Amino acid sequence: MLKRRNKWRIIGSWFLLPPERCLRRLAATRYGGHAKVLPGSLCFKRESRKPTMCAMSSIVVNARSLTKRYGQIEAVRGIDFAISAGECYGFLGVNGAGKTSTMKMIYCRIARTSGDLSVLGMDAARDASRIKQRLGVVAQENALDPELDVIENLLLYASFFGITGKAARRKAEELLELVAISGKERALVRELSGGMKRRLVIARALVNDPDILVLDEPTTGLDPQARLLVWEKLTRLLDGGLTLLLTTHYMEEAARLCNRVAVIDEGKILAEGSPEQLIAQFAARDVLEIVDAEGRLPADIHLNGLVVRRERHGDTHYLYNSDNRILLHRLAELGFDPPRHVARQATLEDVFLNMTGRELAE
Amino acid sequence: MNPVTALFAPNSWRVFRRNLLAWQKYAWSSVAINIVEPFAYFLALGFGLGAYFSLTGYGSLVQYMAPGFLGLTALNAATFDAAWGCYERRVFNGVYESMVTAPVDPLEIASGEYLWQAFRSALYGTLFLIVISGFGLVHSWWALLCPVMLAIAGIAFAIPALFVSFLVKTQEHLFYYFSFVATPMVMIGGVFFPLDKFPHWLLAIAWLTPLYHAVKVFRALVMGTVSWNTGLEVLWVLAAIGVFAFIPVSSIKSKLAN
Repeated sequence: MLKRRNKWRIIGSWFLLPPERCLRRLAATRYGGHAKVLPGSLCFKRESRKPTMCAMSSIVVNARSLTKRYGQIEAVRGIDFAISAGECYGFLGVNGAGKTSTMKMIYCRIARTSGDLSVLGMDAARDASRIKQRLGVVAQENALDPELDVIENLLLYASFFGITGKAARRKAEELLELVAISGKERALVRELSGGMKRRLVIARALVNDPDILVLDEPTTGLDPQARLLVWEKLTRLLDGGLTLLLTTHYMEEAARLCNRVAVIDEGKILAEGSPEQLIAQFAARDVLEIVDAEGRLPADIHLNGLVVRRERHGDTHYLYNSDNRILLHRLAELGFDPPRHVARQATLEDVFLNMTGRELAE
Repeated sequence: MNPVTALFAPNSWRVFRRNLLAWQKYAWSSVAINIVEPFAYFLALGFGLGAYFSLTGYGSLVQYMAPGFLGLTALNAATFDAAWGCYERRVFNGVYESMVTAPVDPLEIASGEYLWQAFRSALYGTLFLIVISGFGLVHSWWALLCPVMLAIAGIAFAIPALFVSFLVKTQEHLFYYFSFVATPMVMIGGVFFPLDKFPHWLLAIAWLTPLYHAVKVFRALVMGTVSWNTGLEVLWVLAAIGVFAFIPVSSIKSKLAN
């Protein structure tokens, strides 16, 4: 039922969208809903932050100079972003970067200090209750009721949206199947594994057929297998046309799920774009990591323009370049044959570390 | 929405139902804890201590204490869970946290808790009523109205306890409320002995507590001495609910609303 409804939502919304977005939506549906953004399909030019190609009606979350202050601490320092229907938008940042505060403002848990924030066309401060009616929230803490069993958790939560009786039970069973915890209806929450708890929270967030699913660090603390399963479920939801908004400090997660990523640090958005664009913009395509304790690496910073950017951390040099093979060849020509090196593609991690500083913030 | 009308909101009853579902899983132990302890005190004081004297003008101690203990049971049942239980649900178990991500108003959460404490008071108080009627200490059919008054009193007791649970920094600080407010309220509430030998200032303080009025109502219902004054006592408790309910609103909202 969920699938069919969302399918209609996709098709229905095509009429409202300019062809550019239709193509993108089609691409997203066809290629697994992530990381396949067509060139030039960015909704917002980063410089202007004004809608360019999107129809206004498809923007579901819109923030302008949004700030949040707790006493003296400025958690969010004037950020702008706009999220369109059907996309997966990610906030990427370390702990304390302001991700959770931003999410809490979006799902109307905390009030903004200043700026504008509209969710589904409604003001986050004034229409909190109406917004909550149409959001699915997976908060950072699971907040499942430990005194209730699995099905009771879902039914209680559904009842707050006015979904009761047989309809609620049907919905609950359908969702348990979706997140692969069928057969555990009568288990107490504390008997579930970490991954199951997370999936149950995702199921709970879907009881009201939300227009946007907001996930604050959906896979933090999960083992790799459990993480894969959560990703799989989220990808499926994305394919179904649901708008996803998530925070993460896993680059892989952002690259895998998100159409667009905002790198956030110390309450500010440092960069925004598709994972590929960010990599292209802030790191080169390839990275050559060279361990060079003796300082034999040629000092010419750019190596005749082959290296876009160069960083050093301890004895390890990071050479951002467009093609590792050419660079290695060039280094060999210069008489430097790196004994220990890693030639790899640039990842979001490189982008992130480049922008926030290679040292961990904490 | 105001905290009194919230008592009638559908979501408040859903919060109530959540507590009922959780309680069902350990109902028997909860009943035992809430009945056995007051009953032990009642037997020891009423039949043990009471065997040595009777209260001038009031008859036997055990007869005097029987309706008083209805008030005590209601107070214990509502106070402990509204303070300790609500603190746990709010801080440790994230129960309220998940409710406010759904469209549940913080005041509906509070109201649901008040309704739940009303149920606990009514249930445990009624069980106690059955016990004392077994001892032949209930003298009127008016006693059938006790559950209603127990529920009303339960709400009146729950409001300050819930307020305290929203104020304290750690769960241990709840004992300040138990020791400095709840227990003294019992001592001056007319539960164990008549208050006519109290100094006026102490009587004035007693008059300000809902327990004092609730116990008067229970006494009238159990003894069959119902009069218009009894109605006024009920009105006092209802009015107290109406006034008390507004006091914790801002601190509930500051913790749970955006």
